[in-house]
Amino acid sequence: MDAPKDSFFLPDFCALPVAAAVVLLSELFAFIIALAPLGRGEDFWSDLALVSLFVQWVTLVGATLLCLLRPLLARLDSRVAAVIAWLLLVALVGTFSHIATRFTVEFALPLATAPAEFVLRNMGIGAIVSLITLRYFFLQHQWQQRLKAESEARLQALQARIRPHFLFNSMNTIASLTRSDPDAAEAALEDLSDLFRASLADARRLITLDEELALCARYLHMEGLRLGERLRVQWDTDDLPGDAQLPALTLQPLVENAVYHGIEPLAEGGAITIQGRRNDTRLMIEVRNPVGPAGTVQARGHRMAVENVRARLEAHFGAAACLESQQEAGHYIVKLTLPYRKEAS
Amino acid sequence: MKVLVVDDEAPARDRLCRLLGALDGVTVVGQAGNGREALERATALTPDVVLLDIRMPGMDGLEAARHLARLPQPPAVVFTTAYGDFALQAFEAQAVDYLLKPIRAERLGKALDKARRLSGAEAAALAPADRRARTHLSATVQGALRLVPVADVVYFQADQKYVTARHRGGELLIEDSLKALEEEFGEAFVRIHRNALVARRALRGIEGAEGQCRVRLAEVEETLEVSRRHAPELRRLLRGGVL
Repeated sequence: MDAPKDSFFLPDFCALPVAAAVVLLSELFAFIIALAPLGRGEDFWSDLALVSLFVQWVTLVGATLLCLLRPLLARLDSRVAAVIAWLLLVALVGTFSHIATRFTVEFALPLATAPAEFVLRNMGIGAIVSLITLRYFFLQHQWQQRLKAESEARLQALQARIRPHFLFNSMNTIASLTRSDPDAAEAALEDLSDLFRASLADARRLITLDEELALCARYLHMEGLRLGERLRVQWDTDDLPGDAQLPALTLQPLVENAVYHGIEPLAEGGAITIQGRRNDTRLMIEVRNPVGPAGTVQARGHRMAVENVRARLEAHFGAAACLESQQEAGHYIVKLTLPYRKEAS
Repeated sequence: MKVLVVDDEAPARDRLCRLLGALDGVTVVGQAGNGREALERATALTPDVVLLDIRMPGMDGLEAARHLARLPQPPAVVFTTAYGDFALQAFEAQAVDYLLKPIRAERLGKALDKARRLSGAEAAALAPADRRARTHLSATVQGALRLVPVADVVYFQADQKYVTARHRGGELLIEDSLKALEEEFGEAFVRIHRNALVARRALRGIEGAEGQCRVRLAEVEETLEVSRRHAPELRRLLRGGVL
């Protein structure tokens, strides 16, 4: 079960990396104690050896106990679990200290203090150190949770958004068509619904390229109603595999940009070309639109949409995807490169 | 009441015309698909009200409104827009009214009532105080509106009363002062004399000695006098190639 594991602040001490970290940290702690001029009389290395033996013994048994008890503790309130874990560790230190005093008698090892005092002192140290450790685990856990929430939020914020301009213009078109051409109005409402469903869906969702191309076609159909003959579209996407996976609304914002910044400012309109090529591992999709006279291009909105797509591509594909744009001879071209990934079956 | 409907989208025009058709005492006298067309129709048809879309190709609604305000019989302008255009907030106070698409019939009626109450001159005074440079210059010549793209202008020259805009296709007498033109088009034009502004892109060279300089320009035969005060800057511009 993943859920309780993730929401519980104590790490899984049975996991190898955690166990290794416990050994390492215990040893560092043993160093601290051995370094402290407590005047045990022996030389540093034998001090260290004895302290290490004791500390490793306690922490490894403690870690094992916590590992075994973790499923039970995870069910409790984290404060209660912390208190139980803490009491357990302190009791463990006390018990082992008591056993250790027996050994010192057995092997005639030096003990600087009376056995009872030795046990109490150790329990004191154990109480403080385990308190600090538990607190550390708790903070670490919270920090990781926050980090996770933040990256989720960032991805959510990257949700593809369709321009409000498009929404209201479409509504206006539909309002006009309801009287003059009710069938077209109905179809337009269906297209609009599909587009907004896609834009309101989970930003992490992947869809197939076929679905994405269909969304683009719906979008262009809507704009075609509004712009009439000014908007012409050339599709050259037969080469593309329809089952390739990509984040929803990756291509549509680029097509929307092409209409908003390319076609709309031109009184006579123009043609948008959507061209797709593939090889074994990659897909290349190019959206090309004519550019009007300088000054009519609202570069800021353009960049925002492109940056949004780029960030989402990076979140999904890392460095394997890229988005480039260039301007040449009166045309603006956006090139999208994606790794060809099919749906995991 | 004569109304001119201006929008680049046919469905939007159709709907407006249908809504207007249902109102008493309102006649749609014409339609236009962009700013330039709107100015031509408005000059010919002398509407009382122009319903003007803001976002249009070529010349947008805001600029068209500025030119409309200069007509001999300026119409009242009501803006229409699909979504809170950045410009709208700034002009809200000055426009007769503005309507959000899809437009409601009763809102349209109210806007027309408002326009009816205002005389043409009052309405013209409400033309947007748009600070952006225009893309066109306009002037009425024998009752007809003439438009010249600013990009075609080679120089402006002032005489006693008028400013002449010399452009690719000829000359246009305009009412703007040289000072106002310099403020509006300062980025594209440079002052060379007390009475002349020259398009930076048209500058070709300077001839003559100090104090007797004249500037050569692209697209026109004549040269213009450069005043002593402006000569150094002009030379620097020509040398630096930063036109």
